[in-house]
Amino acid sequence: MTHVSIQSLTKVYPGATEPSLDRLSLEIESGELTALLGPSGCGKTTTMKMIAGLLEPTSGDVTFDGRSVLNDKPEHRGVVMVFQNYLLFPYMSVADNVGFGLKMRKVDKAEIDRRVTAILEQVKLPDLGKRKPSELSGGQQQRVALARALIVQPDVLLLDEPLSNLDAHLRFEMRDLIRSLQQEMGITTIFVTHDQEEAVVLADKVALILDGRMKQYDTPDAFYKRPIDESTARFFGGQNFIQGYAENGIFESSLGKLELPDHSANGKGTLTFRPENIRIATDYSQPNTVDATLTDRLYLGTQTRLKLTLGNHNIEAICNPIDVEGLTPGQNILVTIPADVVWLLTS
Amino acid sequence: MSDRLKIFLLLAPALLIIGLLFFGGLLIGLMRSFNYMPVIGLTDPDLSAYKSVFTDREFYLSFLLTFHIAFTSTVISSILAVGAALLLRRQFVGRAVVNFLFQLNLTVPHLVGAIGILYLFSQSGSFARLAAEWGMIARTSDFPALVFDPYAIGIILQYVWKEVPFIGVIVLANMQSIGEDYESVARSLGASRWQSFRHVLLPLIFPGMLSASVMVFAFTFGAYEIPAILGANFPAALPVLAYRKYTDVDLAARPEAMAMAIVIAILSGVMIYLYVRYSRRRIRT
Repeated sequence: MTHVSIQSLTKVYPGATEPSLDRLSLEIESGELTALLGPSGCGKTTTMKMIAGLLEPTSGDVTFDGRSVLNDKPEHRGVVMVFQNYLLFPYMSVADNVGFGLKMRKVDKAEIDRRVTAILEQVKLPDLGKRKPSELSGGQQQRVALARALIVQPDVLLLDEPLSNLDAHLRFEMRDLIRSLQQEMGITTIFVTHDQEEAVVLADKVALILDGRMKQYDTPDAFYKRPIDESTARFFGGQNFIQGYAENGIFESSLGKLELPDHSANGKGTLTFRPENIRIATDYSQPNTVDATLTDRLYLGTQTRLKLTLGNHNIEAICNPIDVEGLTPGQNILVTIPADVVWLLTS
Repeated sequence: MSDRLKIFLLLAPALLIIGLLFFGGLLIGLMRSFNYMPVIGLTDPDLSAYKSVFTDREFYLSFLLTFHIAFTSTVISSILAVGAALLLRRQFVGRAVVNFLFQLNLTVPHLVGAIGILYLFSQSGSFARLAAEWGMIARTSDFPALVFDPYAIGIILQYVWKEVPFIGVIVLANMQSIGEDYESVARSLGASRWQSFRHVLLPLIFPGMLSASVMVFAFTFGAYEIPAILGANFPAALPVLAYRKYTDVDLAARPEAMAMAIVIAILSGVMIYLYVRYSRRRIRT
């Protein structure tokens, strides 16, 4: 079990004016599964490579259990990185690929064979040791890459977009496999992804990085319920933002007065709420019920997406298709934005 | 017209020329090596030319020398080329210039290179004279024999000078298309810098390196001009020996020259086969 601490980690590539990663700080508890989430080019993979020792930071520090590892060579750090495209050595058999790390440590041949067999069982590929990587499917290659990393029992495991190359049905299988192996072996694990869904389903905690800077580091649900700012909310699919002024639990805007959750801040701010938390109402009996006009609707099978105008604001709502049957574009309706689901962003 | 036919017709002129020149030449050579040369009245084919080739001691000495030249040049060039490619793939200031200089002598003909070696390294060459001038040796003739020498150092020097960029350019392109991620994986799995080169990069660049070095081996084994200019008189490299027989005043020596040429072709084929097999087994483990 290893506690990983990243302190003000910065990377400016030679010739670049802007840092690719700007003073990133993170504390990752022992045995935790943490996601670094952000769009392509936001510095996620750069961060991973610096943790793995494959890239030198411009400044900042990385410590494992309080000890700086920046001067350790990559092969001595106890960190293994699994790349997005797996990078299995094409000229080696699956078994040789998996046993590679042990061979480099000059482990006895019989011991390597024994451990390779055991780990291939754990990733549910017991009979594929003799095959070449090119004879495996993408999902199988992913599992071989994972086995190759886990066999050396790293202190820290780094995964680069672990689910993004997989089909939808394989994603959940892989997610469960990664989670169960990670928990079983207690390896502190960091993975990067550009896909918020991948981050949410896999991670204990998510660090959102936008433009080389960390925006928010929190549990997955916090990004939906309590985003730190508008760009964070938008990254997680937030669509609804209303400017106004908050005072004593009441938010005043062009929509009139809306109740806020308890302990909300005072002052100028933006009110946000998830599309899936809006309710269609029949009367004004509930607080925070306002007039709306339906401008468009989009049927998505398990849900229906509604586009609404509330005053001069464009709002999106996601509803159960049964609840909104019969509503037609142009119709005036009532919607409730429950006080316990709104979130006030103050600048 | 089917695509196949179209491709065949488009290739036909080139194939025809190659076929006529190569196979025609080979056929005539083969016939003559069997002592079949009606022009000078030889109409009963036999193996006497081969017999005299294989009973000639000079042939074996020449073969050993030629193998030594080809093998040593190929191995040294390959090692230096990989080393150079490893340096050139790094990012550094002035890389483009160094890269250009590295490849520059690809355009210089072998003959020019050979004459350069002669001017620089022979006992009457520039280095010998400089060494004598600076008092490092008493007379220019004390300069070590690097040209016309029994170890063929001058020849190997010339081939290495010429072939390092040839193999290097191929290996470098290969390395650049492979990228550095495989080595990163290896490092993170616990391989040292050397181990990741030996067990990961080398096997990955190996196919490209092998085909380039096979070409170098075949060329250096069968080339005439460099050993003719820079080689000792005895033993001479096989192609030189064959050419001497071919230009012998006695036309009867021609079948022997042809037999030798055929033997050179077969030997280089066999050696390339063995080289490919052996090195593939060694590297890919």
